[in-house]
Amino acid sequence: MKDSLYTLVYAIVLGTVCATLLTAAARFVEPYYKSNAEAERMRNILGVLDVPFDEDASSQELVAVFRKEVREETTGKLRKFLYVPSAGDGQAVAAAVPFEGQGLWGPVKGFLALEPDLRTIRGITFHEQEETPGLGGEIAADWFRGQFKGKRIVAEDGRAGIRIRVGAAGANEVDAITGATLTCQKVEAMINEAIDRIVEPKEASDDQ
Amino acid sequence: MTSSPPAMLPGGPGGVLDGKGKQTFLDGIWGNNPISIQVLGVCSALAVTARLANSLVMGVALIFVCVGSNLFVSLLRNVTPRRIRMIAEMAIIATFVILFDQFLKGFYWEMSRQLGPYVGLIITNCIVMGRAEAFALQNRPLVSIVDGVANGLGYAVVLAVIGFARELLGAGTVLGYTVLSTDWYTPCQLMILAPGAFIALGLLIAVYNGFKGPEPEETTP
Repeated sequence: MKDSLYTLVYAIVLGTVCATLLTAAARFVEPYYKSNAEAERMRNILGVLDVPFDEDASSQELVAVFRKEVREETTGKLRKFLYVPSAGDGQAVAAAVPFEGQGLWGPVKGFLALEPDLRTIRGITFHEQEETPGLGGEIAADWFRGQFKGKRIVAEDGRAGIRIRVGAAGANEVDAITGATLTCQKVEAMINEAIDRIVEPKEASDDQ
Repeated sequence: MTSSPPAMLPGGPGGVLDGKGKQTFLDGIWGNNPISIQVLGVCSALAVTARLANSLVMGVALIFVCVGSNLFVSLLRNVTPRRIRMIAEMAIIATFVILFDQFLKGFYWEMSRQLGPYVGLIITNCIVMGRAEAFALQNRPLVSIVDGVANGLGYAVVLAVIGFARELLGAGTVLGYTVLSTDWYTPCQLMILAPGAFIALGLLIAVYNGFKGPEPEETTP
């Protein structure tokens, strides 16, 4: 009986000490974590829009650049970030559309950047992904993302959407990653879901 | 597993490390290397070694966790009830792993994103638990720290070698810098993929054991 009580007390004390330590650590790290995530988001939008900014800029500087150069706009279901250079004539030179979905291991989030025509891809980023490092994780690598530049989001036959496949050839196709078939399929689906949102509202107005 | 010597009495012969600091250190890195001899912790050794940088950070993480858990398991070894000692070890190990994970998330955001779930999975790494059970429970804190450093290093070195080989052959780079230009070198993608990890680890263990010579026959005393 005495033994059981000692065991119980020991477990409670050890558990409390560990939990307290972890809570303190989490509380301490949280502001850094949050500002990392927010700066990362802005850095990604600025990067995908090709807005010039200092790579080593602090979070505050990034926020300032972001406020000055980028405008957020929502039409219907489509939320987009427009790059309107403060030194320019007020015309947007690029647009970024967020997309997200479930990857193989966890959520994948990113931005698709388009030319002002909203039909040609300018770039793409994945700012949140937990795909297998070295395999699915390669979606965040330059060689994979670079392929998207200049691709059309509407195929020659008029169907909207891009394709990620082996031996890409068409104007709306990019090469898949070997060993990451599932990640590629899931990423393709989430990008196309965003493309549907981009293409639909305009198509509707074209009919009139 | 090492055959654990009987627990030393406090203030026993051999100074603060009980006269076995050097042996403990060498065992962890070479004589009884956690990966190439005990073949523990191979899951993460296979998973994160596609890039050298990732391998190095995992190595550092394991050293940190091994040292921390060995130290505290050893400090508490005489007061921990035997019945719940494994759960207690898990709690200590998990605490150190999560601390390291939080640290990466706060200050090395990029690396934290690349390693993804594998840092958290150190909790289930057999090396950490193995050292706590096989060494820290029977030994004093300082020599347990030595054991933690040695085994962490043993793991880190193996990971670094595999990570180096896989990144070099699989992508032609070392730490992200191009070494084998793709102009004349076709990256062997197999090395980046999971089978490449198995092949690299298998070869490494074979070479290691080749150098070390055959295990002496076990003789019962």
